[in-house]
Amino acid sequence: MKKSIGDNMIPKEFGFERGLELVKKAGFDGIELWLGDVPWFQMATSDTEVRELRRKIENAGLVVSNVSTGLHWESPLSARDPKVRTQAVRIVERQIETAVLLGTDAILVVAGLVTEEVPYNEVYQRCVETLRPLGEKAGRAGVRIGCENCNAEHRFLISPREFWQFLNDVNSNAVGIHLDVGNIHDTGFAEQWIEIHGPRITRIHLKDVMKKRGRCGDQSVYTNLFLGDNNWPAIRAAMTKVGYDGWLIAEMEARYRYARDQQFYDTAQAMDRLISGRL
Amino acid sequence: MHMTRRTFLGYAVGAVTTGLRGLPGTRVDMPRPVVVLHLSQHACESVAGYTGTLAKSGTRFLHVEPALVPRCSVLIVPAAIHIGPALRAIVTCLADGATVILESGAAFADEADFRAHRAELRDCLQVHVDAPVRLWTASSGRQRLPYVDYTWPHSAKIRDFSRALPLARQPGEIIARVNGLPVCLKRRVGRGTLIFLGSPLGPALWAGDAEARQWLLVSLPLFRQ
Repeated sequence: MKKSIGDNMIPKEFGFERGLELVKKAGFDGIELWLGDVPWFQMATSDTEVRELRRKIENAGLVVSNVSTGLHWESPLSARDPKVRTQAVRIVERQIETAVLLGTDAILVVAGLVTEEVPYNEVYQRCVETLRPLGEKAGRAGVRIGCENCNAEHRFLISPREFWQFLNDVNSNAVGIHLDVGNIHDTGFAEQWIEIHGPRITRIHLKDVMKKRGRCGDQSVYTNLFLGDNNWPAIRAAMTKVGYDGWLIAEMEARYRYARDQQFYDTAQAMDRLISGRL
Repeated sequence: MHMTRRTFLGYAVGAVTTGLRGLPGTRVDMPRPVVVLHLSQHACESVAGYTGTLAKSGTRFLHVEPALVPRCSVLIVPAAIHIGPALRAIVTCLADGATVILESGAAFADEADFRAHRAELRDCLQVHVDAPVRLWTASSGRQRLPYVDYTWPHSAKIRDFSRALPLARQPGEIIARVNGLPVCLKRRVGRGTLIFLGSPLGPALWAGDAEARQWLLVSLPLFRQ
């Protein structure tokens, strides 16, 4: 397995190139690029500029693990407004295009957003129908779309069997699950999600979760690896059981208040312990 | 099997009569079909809602382009924004005694498209609509009632589609309101009946809204009379 971390974790004062140095020095193998979340990688970033990003990443001794985005929180694929949906589809298409330019084969998509206004059945149906053609497009580009399990955050596809059924309905080899082991909270157990989805897992996001806290103002429910309630030996065992040997990507919501670069070193070491199984 | 002479004659007459219905010179009263119009790509979700519901219920229907509309009992025009291409079919069907369900798709249209839509409705069909209302914003601060209340042909509560076109005061019967706003209208036009939906029904059908489905399926036989 290889270790990666999001470029949105890079402290603002570092900038992209110094951030890459930090990622490499901390011991990561790759970097996850967040379309729209960082100044160097926006929807308006040209193909030439994207190639330049790749050059810098490779010069730093890293590769791109995957292309993610948080833009779908504002422009969900499940929106009622056709203009918003068109923009949401365009975001996925740009992710696919840039994944190819960056030499990676996976993207992360937040598939849908259930709200008071847009109910579950609509979100489900719309996401299935939108992801089918996007899956074809991704497949042709040699890229897999990983729909992230955001569980309580998007109030959608809360259980692993439900997610399984959703992927069956999309029915595309190019559409799988980008599994976040921290997002499951009190609604289940990450190791069971891993066992159920096995080969459909495109990438795994790592973070720990304090299941009993819930969101409380600015305090995050998420925390660093091994500080929360995830059963890490069980998670590691499930990865072995299903033969997952792909990228593990650190996604920390809570950041160190001081010595922010230290979080990169600590996280990389914790991931090494997880990979080696010394838990 | 025991069969009386009377029973035998009854069957025989029935069989002969049935056979005659297909013979040349005899009139065959096949019910006219329901027709779902495909106006543009953006109407896909709504079209899928109507066609899926009709197909599941076993209702005979045709899904055609505006130029190919045959004589029908009900013409459904889903998610219409630019009505021009469908206008001839709408007018012909109304004149022929059909029911036309005209569903507006302009609630999410941009300003220019909405203005054109409003002008076409006013000038060609004498339907007067106001600017789209965001129902969820309009009802914030009050208890939210996110349903369209249909009162004809039977009462039904159907989830709204976030935005709706309210109707101005005009001739005809208001058949549905949302948060007190009139959004659906029924009006006799020539020999036919025009039903204008300012709150789309198709997406609710498409998303599996049971009451929307029931409203359509219970209403269809009435429309076809």
